[in-house]
Amino acid sequence: MNDVQIKYFNRTMDERGIATLTFDTPDSEVNVLCFDALYELEQQITQMHDNMSIKALFIESAKEHIFIAGADIKEIKAFKNTSETVDKLRHGQEIFNQLENLPFPTVAIIDGACLGGGLELALACDYRVATNDAHTRIGLVEVSLGIIPGLGGTQRLPLLVGFSKSIELITASKRLKGDKALSLGLVDASVPSGYLGFKKEEFSKEILAGTLEAKVAKLRKGIRWYEMFAPVKMLIVKMARKEVLKQTAGHYPAPLKAIDVLEETLTMSLEEGLKIELEVFEPLATSQISKNLIELFFTSEKLKKESFSKAEAKEIKSAAVIGVGTMGSGIAWVLAYKDIPVRVGERSMHSIAQAMAKMMQSFERIKRRGRLTDREIGLKMDRVTYTIDMQGLTQTDIVIEAVNEDPAVKKKIYETLEATVSEHTIIATNTSSLEITELVKESFHPERFVGMHFFNPVQKMPLVEVIAGEKTSDETIATVVKLAKRLSKIPIKVSECAGFLVNRILMPYLNEAAKMFDEGENIEHIDELLTHFGMPMGPFTLADEVGIDIGEKVSTILYEAYGERMKPSKVLMQMTQNEWLGKKTGTGFYTHKGKDKFHNEHIHELHTNHAVLDDAPIQDRTILIMVNEAARCLEEGVVANARYLDMAMVMGTGFPAFRGGLLRYADGEGLSNVVARLKLLEEKYGERFTPVKSLVEMAENGKTFYDE
Amino acid sequence: MKKERIAIVSALRTPMARAGGKFQKIQADQLGAILFRELMMRSLVGVDKVDEVIIGNVAQPIHAANIARVIALRAGFPEATPAITVHRNCASGMESITTAVSRIYAGEGKIYVCGGVESMSNIPLVYSEKMTDLFSKLADSKTVLDKMRTMLGFKPSFIKPVVGLMSGLTDPVSGLLMGSTAEVLAQDFGISREEQDAFALRSHQKAQKAKESGRFALESMAIVYDEYEGKYLDYDDGIRESQTLAKLAVLRPFFDRKNGTVTAGNSSQITDAAAGVVLMSESEAKVRGLEPLGYLRDYAYVGLDPKRMGLGPVFATHKLFKQTGLSMDDIEIVEINEAFSAQVIACEKAFASPEFAKTHFGEDKAVGAIDPDILNVNGGAIALGHPVGMTGTRLVLTVLHELRLRKQQRGLATLCIGGGQGAALLLEVK
Repeated sequence: MNDVQIKYFNRTMDERGIATLTFDTPDSEVNVLCFDALYELEQQITQMHDNMSIKALFIESAKEHIFIAGADIKEIKAFKNTSETVDKLRHGQEIFNQLENLPFPTVAIIDGACLGGGLELALACDYRVATNDAHTRIGLVEVSLGIIPGLGGTQRLPLLVGFSKSIELITASKRLKGDKALSLGLVDASVPSGYLGFKKEEFSKEILAGTLEAKVAKLRKGIRWYEMFAPVKMLIVKMARKEVLKQTAGHYPAPLKAIDVLEETLTMSLEEGLKIELEVFEPLATSQISKNLIELFFTSEKLKKESFSKAEAKEIKSAAVIGVGTMGSGIAWVLAYKDIPVRVGERSMHSIAQAMAKMMQSFERIKRRGRLTDREIGLKMDRVTYTIDMQGLTQTDIVIEAVNEDPAVKKKIYETLEATVSEHTIIATNTSSLEITELVKESFHPERFVGMHFFNPVQKMPLVEVIAGEKTSDETIATVVKLAKRLSKIPIKVSECAGFLVNRILMPYLNEAAKMFDEGENIEHIDELLTHFGMPMGPFTLADEVGIDIGEKVSTILYEAYGERMKPSKVLMQMTQNEWLGKKTGTGFYTHKGKDKFHNEHIHELHTNHAVLDDAPIQDRTILIMVNEAARCLEEGVVANARYLDMAMVMGTGFPAFRGGLLRYADGEGLSNVVARLKLLEEKYGERFTPVKSLVEMAENGKTFYDE
Repeated sequence: MKKERIAIVSALRTPMARAGGKFQKIQADQLGAILFRELMMRSLVGVDKVDEVIIGNVAQPIHAANIARVIALRAGFPEATPAITVHRNCASGMESITTAVSRIYAGEGKIYVCGGVESMSNIPLVYSEKMTDLFSKLADSKTVLDKMRTMLGFKPSFIKPVVGLMSGLTDPVSGLLMGSTAEVLAQDFGISREEQDAFALRSHQKAQKAKESGRFALESMAIVYDEYEGKYLDYDDGIRESQTLAKLAVLRPFFDRKNGTVTAGNSSQITDAAAGVVLMSESEAKVRGLEPLGYLRDYAYVGLDPKRMGLGPVFATHKLFKQTGLSMDDIEIVEINEAFSAQVIACEKAFASPEFAKTHFGEDKAVGAIDPDILNVNGGAIALGHPVGMTGTRLVLTVLHELRLRKQQRGLATLCIGGGQGAALLLEVK
C-alpha cells in the first residue's frame, strides 16, 4: 500500500492546523471514486491519523461545480461474483470507517454533484457544508443502477435524516438541492457558492473553539424514537414497499433490497450493519439487471457526446413550430420550457389559443411539483409568440413543422416557408413516417431540411429520431442534434426509411398482437403477459392510447414499404370503420371512461377464430418479431449500432430498461436460441418470422450484439 | 435649418379592450411585453440594433418601476439596451416618439423603439390618508396595549379607498375632473347634448365600418388574453354596433349631474392597450433598404389653461403650422383624439373661428376649418377607447395607414393633454 502514488488528492495545511484535502481525478471533467482513489485516500488518512498538529480536515473538490459524481461505474460493471470482489468492497467500507475515526473533526465541502459513493464519503465525515446553487445535487442514487449504497450509505444516512426519510431518499434515488438537504439534516449548512469561503472560515473558528458540535446537533433529526417502535417500523416498510412496487411493477429488485437492508440493520451496530449491506450489495452488483442498467447508462453518456456529424452546430436563438396539435404544442412547450423563444404558426387564432392553453397546463403541472413559480412561467410564456399568416419568421433559426401527415399540406408549407425565412433557417419536420427526400424534392435549399421525430407525449418522452434526407447537410444534422440535447432529449440519428427506427420495429409487435386477437386470443391476457415481460403497457392498451386510426394509417404505410411481413391485421380497419378509435372515442380494444379502462363487451365480435394459445408463443411472437426487425435495421444501417438501437427502444417505446434493451435481451437469451425459436414460429406462422441473415450468421459464429 | 424626417419603419398595436374586461388580468408590463415582442418579430430590424426603448405610460404600475425597462427585458431586447419610461399624460405615446426624435437629432443614437402602453383595468385603489396614518401609528406602537389604543382610533370610513383612476383624471391645479373641463368647453362654445351624442354615434358607426372592412387588422395583432382557458381577442371590443341616439340620450351626465351635457356615452372609453413603432432617420432607413410605413415631418407641444385643456389641439396645430409654413389646406387626414365629444367639437369650432385666432394668436385668419370628411375617419376614442399612455402612438398608426390606403401624402395627429397642454404631429407617407 505504501507504493500508492499521489495522484488524486492534494493536501495543504494552514498555520492553525486546518488541513484541506483536495480531490482531483486527473484527466477527467468529473471526480469519480475509483478504487485507486480510495487506496490513496487511505494512505492520506494513515498519514494524518497520528499528525498531532492537525486540528481539522476539510475535504473538497478541485473541479468546478462537481464534488464527487459517485463511484467508478466501470469498476462496478466489471465486478465478478468472486471472493476478491467481496474483499475489495469490504476494504472500501473500512477506508470510510478510518475516515470516520480520525481523531480530529472532518468537514466535506459540497459544491456540485455529490452522488452515490461521493455522498457516502461525505457521510463518513463529521460535518457537511453544501452550496445552495443550482448545480449542487446530493443523493444516494445507486438504486437507479440496480444496486444499493455499498460504502456505508445505508448505515450512516438514517443517523442524520431518520429511518423513513432514508428509505424515501434511497428507493427513489432522490437528488436533493442544498437547502432541502439542510432542512432534512443531511448537511449542516447550505450557502451560496460565493459565500463558501466565509462559511469554511466560520466552521474553522467554531471547530477550534470547540463550539461546532453542539451547534449542529440541533439541526440533525436522526432516527426518531417512534421509528424504532416495531409496529411503526413495519408500517413504514409496508408503505415503502407498496410505493416501490407501484413504480417498478416488481421488475427492479434493488429498491426492495435497499428497504430490506435498512429495516434489518436499523438497530444494529455499524459493524454488523456494514456486513449486511455488503452481503446484499454484492449479488446485486454482479446481477444481470444491474449490468443492463449500467450499460444503458453508459450508452446515454456516450449519446450525450455524440454529434452524429463532423460539422459544427449552429446556435439556435429562436424557433418556430408550424402546426400545434398534440405534437406541435408539446414541441413548442419544450422549447419555451428551455427558454428558447418560440413562434407558433397555425391556421386560426382559435387553434393557437387552444395550444397556449395546453402549454399552460404543462406548466401548471410543473408548478404543482414546486419546480417553477408563476413569475418564472410568465417569463417563459413571454417568449411564445404566434402568427396565423406565417409573418415574423424572418429571424427564426429553425422552423419545426408538425402538421398532419399529409405530403401535399407539408409541401405547401415548405413552399411558403422558403419564401419567408432566411436561407440559413433550418426546416425540420416532425413526420413519423414520410421520407424527407421525397418531401423536399422541389425545395430550393434541400440541405436545410431534416426530420426531427419527437414521441408522444413530447413533454415526457426523451427520444428524438433525427432523419437526414439525401441532401441534408452535416451542419443541419449537427444543429438539430445539439438543439435536441438542449431540450434534454436524447437524439439518435436514423436513416431514411418508412417508419424510421422505432415505429418500424414497434409496428410488427402491434400487428402480431392484432393477429393473435384475430386467432381468438383474449386481449387482456396478451396485455397482461407483456406487462409482465416489462413493457409499460400491453399492445392493445398502447394501440388505444395512440389511436386505432393512426395505427391503421402507419401500418398501411409500412405494409406498402416492406411488403408481406408487415401485412396489417384486418381488425384495425374494421375498428376504424366502426369508429372504435381507442381512448379518444371512448371505445377501442377496451372501453374507456376517464382514466379507467374496461373490457369491451363487443370486442369478441371481431374475432375470426376462437383458439387459445400457449403463453410462450405469445411473448415470442411479439418480442422476437421485434428482435428480427431490429436485426434487419442494423443490417441495413438504419442506426449506428445495437446500443443506440436499444436506447431508442427504451426511450421511445418504454421497452424495459432492466432488460437492457431489445438486442441486449436477445443476447441474454442467446442468439442461437433466438434463431431456433424464430424458426419454430416461421414453420407455424409463416415467413414474417424467418430470421434475417445477419442474425443467423451471428448465431452460427457465436457472436452477440454487444461485445463485452 | 430644415431637419431630416424620421422614418417609422414598423408599427403595431394590440386590440383595444374595454377596461375591466378581456385584458383585466394582463398587467401593463405584460401587455407591453406581448406587443413589443411581436412588433420586433415582424420588424426587419433586429432587437440588438436598437439604441434605446422609450415607452409612454401614465398609470405606472407599482410592481414595475420604469416599466419601459421591464417591458424591454420581457420582450426580448438585450440586457445592454437601455430603456426609459416617459410621461406627458395623454400625450405619453407621442412623447416617447418625439423624445427619440430629439435623441436622433442630437446624434445620441440611430434606432429607437417607441410606443405607449396602458392598463387602465389595473390602476390601483389606494388607502385613504387617514388609514395610512393609522398603519404607521400601529407600526410605531410598541406594546399590545399601545396597539389596541391605536386601533381605537379606527373608523370604518377609513376603509373607503381612493380610486386611483379618478385621482389620475382630476387636474390637481384647477381641481376639475377631465370631464368637467369638457363641460367648460361645452358652455364656452354652446355645444348641446344632442350635438355631442350625434358626434359619439358617428364615432361608433365609423369605427364599426372600419372594423368590418378589416381596416384595423392592418395595424393590430391578436392576443391570447387567457392562456388557461385558451381565449383570444382580435378586434377592438369597445365599438358598439348597436349604438343609437336614443340609447345615448338616456345616459345621465356624469360630471355635472344637474346641468351637465357630458355623459359616459359621449366621452372616451376607459381601455387597455399598447402600441409601438420602430424609428430611425429617413437616411438610415434608406441605407438599411427598409420601406418605411411613413415619416414624422415635425411636431409641436404647447401649454394652455388647464381648465380648457381640451383646446390643446388648436394651440399645438397653430404652432406646428407656424413652424412648417403649412396650413390646413395641406392636410389630407386629421386625427383629433376624442377625449370628449364636446372637446373635439369645441376644437372644430375654434379651428374655424377668426375671433378665436384673433383672441389667442393675434391673427386675422382662423387657424383653418377642418373638412368633417377627413376628421377621425375611422372613429376615435369614443368608440375605440383612450388608454391614456397609448393613444398618442395609436393616432400615428391610424393616420399613416389611412394615408397609405387613400394614397395621400400628409396627415395631422393631435391631442389634448390633461393638465393643460396640446400636442400635434405632422406625418407624411412619401
